[in-house]
Amino acid sequence: MRGRTALLVLPGLAVLLIGFLIPSVAMLFAPPGVSPVEVFDRLGQMLTDPYDQAIVMRTLGLGLIVTVVCIGLGYPIAYLLSRSTSRWAGVLLALAIFPLLLSSVVRTFGWLVVLGSQGAVPQLLLSLGLTDSAPQLLYTPLAIVLGLTQIFLPLAVVASYSALAQVDAGLDEAARGLGANRIRTFWSVVVPLSGPGVVVAATLVFAGAVTAYTTPYLLGGSRQRMLSTQLYTYSSTTIDWAAASATALIMTVLVFAVSGLSGLAARRGATS
Amino acid sequence: MTHAAQFRGVSQVFGDFTAVDDIDLTIPDGKLTTLLGPSGCGKTTSLRMLAGYLAPTHGTISIAGVDSTRTPPEKRDLGMVFQSYALFPHMSVAENVGFGLKMRRVPAAERARRVTESLELVGLAHLSASKPKKLSGGQQQRVALARAIAIRPKLLLLDEPLSNLDARLRIQMRAEIRRIQAETGLAVVLVTHDQDEALEMSDEMVLMKDGRIQQQGAPQEVFPAPANRFVAEFLGYENFLTDPGGELTTIRPEHLWLTVGEQAPSASGGSVVSGVVLDLAYRGVDLLVTVAATDASGARVELLADLRAESAPDLTQGTHVWVHVPATHVVPLTGD
Amino acid sequence: MRTRHPIAASLAVLGYIVMLVPILFVVVTAFTAGSTLRFPPEGFSLRWFEAALTYTPFTSSLVSSLILAVISAVLALALGVPVALAIHRGRLPGKALVEGLFLSPLIVPELVVGLALYQQLMVGFGLDNFQTLLFGHTVLMFPYAVRVTGASLALIDPAVEDAARGLGASAGRTFFSITLPLLRPGLFSAALLSFITSFNNVPLSLLLQSRDFRTLPVVMLDYVQQNYDPIVAAISVLILAATVLVAVIAERTVGFARVFGGINR
Ligand SMILES: Nc1ncnc2c1ncn2[C@@H]1O[C@H](COP(=O)(O)OP(=O)(O)OP(=O)(O)O)[C@@H](O)[C@H]1O
Ligand SMILES: [Mg+2]
Repeated sequence: MRGRTALLVLPGLAVLLIGFLIPSVAMLFAPPGVSPVEVFDRLGQMLTDPYDQAIVMRTLGLGLIVTVVCIGLGYPIAYLLSRSTSRWAGVLLALAIFPLLLSSVVRTFGWLVVLGSQGAVPQLLLSLGLTDSAPQLLYTPLAIVLGLTQIFLPLAVVASYSALAQVDAGLDEAARGLGANRIRTFWSVVVPLSGPGVVVAATLVFAGAVTAYTTPYLLGGSRQRMLSTQLYTYSSTTIDWAAASATALIMTVLVFAVSGLSGLAARRGATS
Repeated sequence: MTHAAQFRGVSQVFGDFTAVDDIDLTIPDGKLTTLLGPSGCGKTTSLRMLAGYLAPTHGTISIAGVDSTRTPPEKRDLGMVFQSYALFPHMSVAENVGFGLKMRRVPAAERARRVTESLELVGLAHLSASKPKKLSGGQQQRVALARAIAIRPKLLLLDEPLSNLDARLRIQMRAEIRRIQAETGLAVVLVTHDQDEALEMSDEMVLMKDGRIQQQGAPQEVFPAPANRFVAEFLGYENFLTDPGGELTTIRPEHLWLTVGEQAPSASGGSVVSGVVLDLAYRGVDLLVTVAATDASGARVELLADLRAESAPDLTQGTHVWVHVPATHVVPLTGD
Repeated sequence: MRTRHPIAASLAVLGYIVMLVPILFVVVTAFTAGSTLRFPPEGFSLRWFEAALTYTPFTSSLVSSLILAVISAVLALALGVPVALAIHRGRLPGKALVEGLFLSPLIVPELVVGLALYQQLMVGFGLDNFQTLLFGHTVLMFPYAVRVTGASLALIDPAVEDAARGLGASAGRTFFSITLPLLRPGLFSAALLSFITSFNNVPLSLLLQSRDFRTLPVVMLDYVQQNYDPIVAAISVLILAATVLVAVIAERTVGFARVFGGINR
């Protein structure tokens, strides 16, 4: 029995090892023709060089902003949908989930149409006479924040919704019945109970935002470089393996650190 | 008498926990045997070993005289009814019942005949095209029974078949299962933790506790003569007291009677102990009286008397009473 | 919807605008008669759809994307479903570890995985880019194959499988006549999720591209960077339509929110 069970796992495990685990570890520490020492040297340079530092800080900063915005918009959507009895709630939920299925290239392309110099927003500002010339909106941090928010908001909605759906709506009513007003009920019952789920949602958004490629590439271009676009340049244009690995290392550590912290926070929240 | 199945020195150990501990058990042919015991005593585990889903850690199991310890379940020819019924949700009632026959390559015409026959036996022939989800709990139960019977098994195994039914249906299905057993002449093993069910249905009952068999026999043998305190308690003997000879004995609540008065009454045909009423519970026909008393060994015991309410003396908490213990109903307990 | 939560409702409306309005603009722009992405569009025509459907880099990369998505989804299920079975039904030491390993591709940044496969399998090991892409996409879908089918496996009463064995079905027969049919909704969900994930993937497909084998999103990215005409809007609308179709199929069969939102209502 045990032997047969192992047979079920082995083919998949082999592919996982060859197609993921071994290359990932090997890449981080020993790219082809480069020694681990060089990777770590390069990593040290990056963390002290002002140009590279700026990229790391931009990635972190935009990641944080996008996370806050996504939770700030996604949690209210999820809250309203989870507490609504309207038959439109199902449709609205589907509309919030649907973008998850749609290619991120298509979704981000929409912002080129909206924000490009001939696009809707600059043209609108012009025709209203608010500016003399079409303002430069693309290739700005704002464009990246908008683009990444569009990409990751559905994730925030879905994760918050799952958390909120588990908070019994009866509890709201019980709290109201005990004399808490609507706002008190929200902050003292709904928020604490759905908190761990929101931490999970925020982690997913942050990890996605600091590693996304399509959006920073299309909406940030070479003016607003982030870790992901930088990594692609190192590995495909300049072919600097040590730098590529070092960048990948920073990205991976960032994601793992945040996931680890949020795991801790969620466990704290669950036990306290 | 031939045996339908036999356990010899069978144990089942999960990690460092012994769920079934060295049991020897004979299941007689053509009779209904119940495995009775409290939750976690190893009933399901024993049944699963018999059906072949679990290999015993030690010991051997033979079915119809053949050692089957290593036989996989599909080769045992046993019919099993699961507690959750385990009907195949994607198949119709008829397909469910015919599944075992299909596995045995019974030709389609013969199969259809036997499916109908089995469904008629449980009175559900008219539902053969339905999907299981559409059926009530009681109907699902019958389909599961028909499915197990259709293969004409050597032995029919039922794991708490009635525990998911409401009280009325449960009583009805007890009779139904007895009827089917009688009509088919099958050997049946039925697991339950309900003593009434076991007493009512069994030809033979097996009482288990902590993975060991405590007593086995016909209800008429076991009920009046429980072998030890566990069996007595499980069968509803509430009172345990040491007799003048120093032996532990037991007596059922309905066999005690109470009198009041200054003078100790004569203890003809038994013994009398003095006590004080602790608690009264009025049950309509019955009056349950808890009495704090001292038995022959000088130990304080609480006795429960089940009196007919209309003929009970006038009692309140604290009333001094004489508890009559008629010798004919006193059961001596051996063992622990 | 009438609301007693004005602040939350305003934020929600803003959220929906950010999520959906850019997509609407793409749709409108695709039907322009002009040759730029100017807004408002100049006239109405279908010329950009015709252009998109006859532009060879798009059509050939679409075929590549479909081939890659289908093969890797099939591979991921063929390799991942047995793992889910082992985890939920078998006697496997270290189940949690095995499950964690198969879910781990979810937490490593895809760009990092792409770089790793590029360096180690293509450059280091000499695999061609299609083989490497197959490895990468298959591994990326393992989490869906293992977790989604695992979740529906957990919903199947194991007694049903025991019952089939007891009625005379061998282990293999039980799997094919009982477990597999009951698992169908889960398999369908996993397959759909895998297919879409692969089809839309950019990071892996970008790093592992070659002149002969590029996927549609990668070709589109390149095109957008160099040209500024509505042909990409047209191909985007076609992708949008196909995605809506997939969503409708999912809704009709298993339930849209269950497949893609992981939401059980
Ligand atoms: N696979 C297993 N692994 C570990 N322990 C088990 C396993 N199966 C059963 N046990 C334990 O063995 C003991 C006996 O279980 P079993 O299911 O046989 O009890 P039971 O008599 O059928 O009880 P119930 O009336 O609750 O169904 C229980 O303590 C149970 O927790
Ligand atoms: Mg049991």
